[in-house]
Amino acid sequence: MHFGGLYEDEIVGKAYDRQLMGRFIRYLSPYRRLVAVSLVVLPLVAVCKLAQPWLLKVAIDNHIVAGKMAGLPVIAASYLGLILAEALFTFIQVYLLQYLGQRVMVDLRMELFSHVQRLSTRFFDRTPTGSLVTRLTSDVEALGEMFAAGIITIVGDILVLAGIIGIMLWMNLRLSLVTFSVLPVLFWVAFAFRTRMRAAFRQVRARLANLNTFLAESLGGMAVVQLFNRQNHEREEFRRLNREYRDANLPVITWDAALYAGVEAISAVAVGLLIWYGGGEIARGTLTFGALVAFIQYIEKFFSPIRDLSAKYSVMQGAMAALERIFQLLDTEKAAQEGAGIPDPQPSPAGGWCGATKGDGTFIDFRHIWFAYQGDDYVLKDFNLQLRRGEKLALVGETGGGKTTVTRLLPRLYEVNRGCILIDGVDIRTMPLDLLRSRIGIVLQDPYLFTGTIAYNITLGDSAAAARMERAAAVVGANRFIQRLANGYDEEVRERGVNFSAGERQLISFARAVAFDPEILILDEATASVDSEAERLIESGLKGLLSGRTSLVVAHRLSTIKDADRIAVIHRGEKMEEGSHQELMTARGLYYRLYQLQFRD
Amino acid sequence: MTACRGAYCTGFLWLLGTNTFALLIPWLLKLAIDSLEMPGISGHGPAWYAALIMVAALLQGVIRIFSRTTLLNAGRRIEYMIREDLYAKLLELDLPFFSRERTGDIMSRLANDLTNVRMLLGFGMLNVINTAIVYLAALSLMGHISVQLTLFAIIPFPLTIFVVKRMSATMFRRSQIVQEELSRLTSKVEENVSAATVIKSYCREYAETAAFASISSSYLESNMAMARVRGAMIPIMAASGAMGTLIVLFVGGSRVIAGELTLGDFVAFNGYLAMLVWPTLMLAWILNLMQRGAASMSRLNQVLEAKASVREPSQPEETNIGGTIEIRDLSFAYGSSPILSQISLTITKGMRLGIVGPIGSGKSSLVRLIPRLYPVADGHIFLDGVDINRISLGTLRHAIGFVPQESFLFSRTIGDNIAYGMAGATGEDIRNSARMSGIAPDIERFADGYDTLVGERGVTLSGGQKQRAAIARALLKNPSILILDDPLSAVDARTEEDILANLAAYYGERTVIIVSHRLSALRDCTMIVVMDEGRIVEQGSHEELLVLQGRYAAIHREQQLRREIEGY
Repeated sequence: MHFGGLYEDEIVGKAYDRQLMGRFIRYLSPYRRLVAVSLVVLPLVAVCKLAQPWLLKVAIDNHIVAGKMAGLPVIAASYLGLILAEALFTFIQVYLLQYLGQRVMVDLRMELFSHVQRLSTRFFDRTPTGSLVTRLTSDVEALGEMFAAGIITIVGDILVLAGIIGIMLWMNLRLSLVTFSVLPVLFWVAFAFRTRMRAAFRQVRARLANLNTFLAESLGGMAVVQLFNRQNHEREEFRRLNREYRDANLPVITWDAALYAGVEAISAVAVGLLIWYGGGEIARGTLTFGALVAFIQYIEKFFSPIRDLSAKYSVMQGAMAALERIFQLLDTEKAAQEGAGIPDPQPSPAGGWCGATKGDGTFIDFRHIWFAYQGDDYVLKDFNLQLRRGEKLALVGETGGGKTTVTRLLPRLYEVNRGCILIDGVDIRTMPLDLLRSRIGIVLQDPYLFTGTIAYNITLGDSAAAARMERAAAVVGANRFIQRLANGYDEEVRERGVNFSAGERQLISFARAVAFDPEILILDEATASVDSEAERLIESGLKGLLSGRTSLVVAHRLSTIKDADRIAVIHRGEKMEEGSHQELMTARGLYYRLYQLQFRD
Repeated sequence: MTACRGAYCTGFLWLLGTNTFALLIPWLLKLAIDSLEMPGISGHGPAWYAALIMVAALLQGVIRIFSRTTLLNAGRRIEYMIREDLYAKLLELDLPFFSRERTGDIMSRLANDLTNVRMLLGFGMLNVINTAIVYLAALSLMGHISVQLTLFAIIPFPLTIFVVKRMSATMFRRSQIVQEELSRLTSKVEENVSAATVIKSYCREYAETAAFASISSSYLESNMAMARVRGAMIPIMAASGAMGTLIVLFVGGSRVIAGELTLGDFVAFNGYLAMLVWPTLMLAWILNLMQRGAASMSRLNQVLEAKASVREPSQPEETNIGGTIEIRDLSFAYGSSPILSQISLTITKGMRLGIVGPIGSGKSSLVRLIPRLYPVADGHIFLDGVDINRISLGTLRHAIGFVPQESFLFSRTIGDNIAYGMAGATGEDIRNSARMSGIAPDIERFADGYDTLVGERGVTLSGGQKQRAAIARALLKNPSILILDDPLSAVDARTEEDILANLAAYYGERTVIIVSHRLSALRDCTMIVVMDEGRIVEQGSHEELLVLQGRYAAIHREQQLRREIEGY
């Protein structure tokens, strides 16, 4: 079987570096002062570096060639001073840049994280966890690298380069021009390298993302892999992705080596030109030995950052690609972000506008809802449902009929395509999202437990919930097993709650819902994997909880809805029947049939 | 690393070549300057030496390309192999390992730690070899010019090495902290993204962001602690290099004045010393890499050396698994608290066993032990008279169709998911299984049918659809033993009814174990056991258990009572 194409992260379209940098520079603005200090330190480092060959020239011309010993110690001492100053300034510079880089990384990471918090559930449905993790970790790390080894060091290097060119031109114009005749070749090499490197890097990063996505999923489904003896197959697939990643790296290495070698060779050619032309000048007496030696040293200092440029370029390219992905994530779904923009009331296909309030005591009002997870594949079709305050409504129907979807629309985990949902006559899209959700308590189909303690899993760090924690646990009967644990509420919960049984996880998630004391309660098949004994406990607890609360219960088992005030039967996205148990039984419709099946001997 | 020994040897030779030409250049410079200073003595003028310098430079450059690609590619190849080994190891490791380790942590090892190791084996090795060659060659050439001056020039080196060694120890400790912090951060992001729905539902976005901020800032702290050492290292190394130049300037300068050294010697000497500066700077960086690489390698070794407690038998017994399961005096615990104690049970071939009991009674743990998802001591579980620990894992698991409590689907097409256990399953096979598990009508409603992509962890499918897909996957395996751990909990009554009817026809001679909270799911079971607190408290057929008037009868009565209440 072939999975080609499924894991490939799309390689993003072409972007303009300057644009990315321009946007990125804005992240530096809170640290203006820090940047300013670095910009002051940079020329100091450059001056220290540039003065060293000059001192050497003075020493050679005025003392060594002239045979004057006097004054040489002074020059040596100045040289020592320059070395120490350079070391000190370099340390300050490195430290400041690291600090700046780390701060910016934290800011960017926080922005990404809080952005991700606001993204819609739809986004999470279609985005693999691995790629989001990569965005927040390796991609941000790549930016950190840029600070450690790139961006402002390059400014420093450019300063040194400009200084060297200036000094050389000033010392000997013609000799400098001869030496610099290699520069066009250098630029050509750098340019040829640049275009190829960019494409290669994109490939590398995209393939790395594929590899990580595959790995993350594989780790999650390891039990299934092993139970189905698919280790070899998964290994083959992993090998393919691993190989593709490796192979994408090889051209990068080749180009990198070519640039490195090219720059080294060009630098030596420049020295050769210097000797050839400078030699003639010395013979004619228009150039001193000291100046020639200083020139050679300047050439070395000139090319050394350029030789290193390949490494910096790799880092910068990596950072650019990372930046592009980061900004892409920050930009994606700005429109689909939760709570962003309230659509104008739309007419639903069945007619009727959303803005109008009914004023007949309806508390929650689903009006002409159309919803599809993707495309035109509607899960709900012109769905209508009304709940009165304090009413307990049960949703009954076949699996995949849309019951769960109904419960996800109310807290706006998904936005409806057409129609609207009103609470107290107010369109939920006009309410602040956190306010809306704080009114609703949800027990999800798959109870998710966080790494931490049981207490954290019930309260999620909320102080108001913490005050109600033990009572909530008692209400759902979770206190029994919690008290049996060695550390009680402080018992550690490992990743995804693996150290608890499904039922225990369920009970904890119940306690969580209760602890938040919501006005509206949504139970989504929550009692599914709990045995009848625990179910009785939960039911009795929930009975107390539900009084005075409006609740929407998705039930597959009719026994859990015997207390419902009203039952709505949903079938293939439409509400087929609605009424009390008795009414529905008398109607002998769909509900009657479901009922017969469930309780037939 | 041994696999790439050849590459390292070749790389060494290339480096030797490139450095020969690189080291030739200052010597040619010396000859050129000497020829300028004393025009009569040597036969060649500066132009001749300039030409030689350019030729040497070009050769050096060309060979440099080969040396770098050879060694850096070796680094990538080794990275590839280690990653391969790591993944193979992960495939071997068992559930106890995966419930102990965080996924994010494993991910971080495979991403960041592996990168560090690769850097060490690629760039690190390249520079170690290069530095060694340059040091040896440059020092001997310098010695050739003047032994005394060379000794003076390398005075700062021991001091540098001493300082660097001390600093690198600190660096090692701090880099480990950095890695740990990064790993924590990765885990946090992973968890947050996976639990997006819960976080949204409970409006925990701000709390999560605050928690992330604190992890993020402690990561910053650890990085800055690292930056302080690294920041000090670079200028110290650079200064030590320049210190040599200073000594040469002073001592060498006076020698030239005294006429003991030519100006060419002086320049060449300076050139060689300059050649040492770069490798010395690199040395600081390599030390950094080595520290990080070593720390990372030890973290990778923790994975590579992790021992699965569920292991392949050393001499697997050849066996055809018919389906008789015998459990003898079985006790089990995940940690210290016992989950199962002294379970004895015989399930004969073709028997349909139902298991009921309250939460945490050990039902799921019991069935997880049969395909050895968790380790079992020898002499407790037998299949057709053979201890399961003596059956190869492949054979054992091939014979068992296991539907776990939580359905995990891969981000592939639904058809691929169903065919997961059977390479080469035909479309007809897949459709058959889908029909039996009751998922077929749902799939047929999808626009792309069996080619519909399942989102990560099957999010676009409902819980019941996921469960049925997982059942279809197990059925397609055509196992002799079918284990269903609460398989229809998210499926509605009518679908359950259909599926049970289909399954009853499928069972045939297969041994079937169904764990369920709903007695309705156990209606076809020939034997039912009731578990509580890790023990079997009742055992028998539906009728026998009813007669017993014990737990089972109580559960049954309760369900019946409700039925009666609701019957009104």
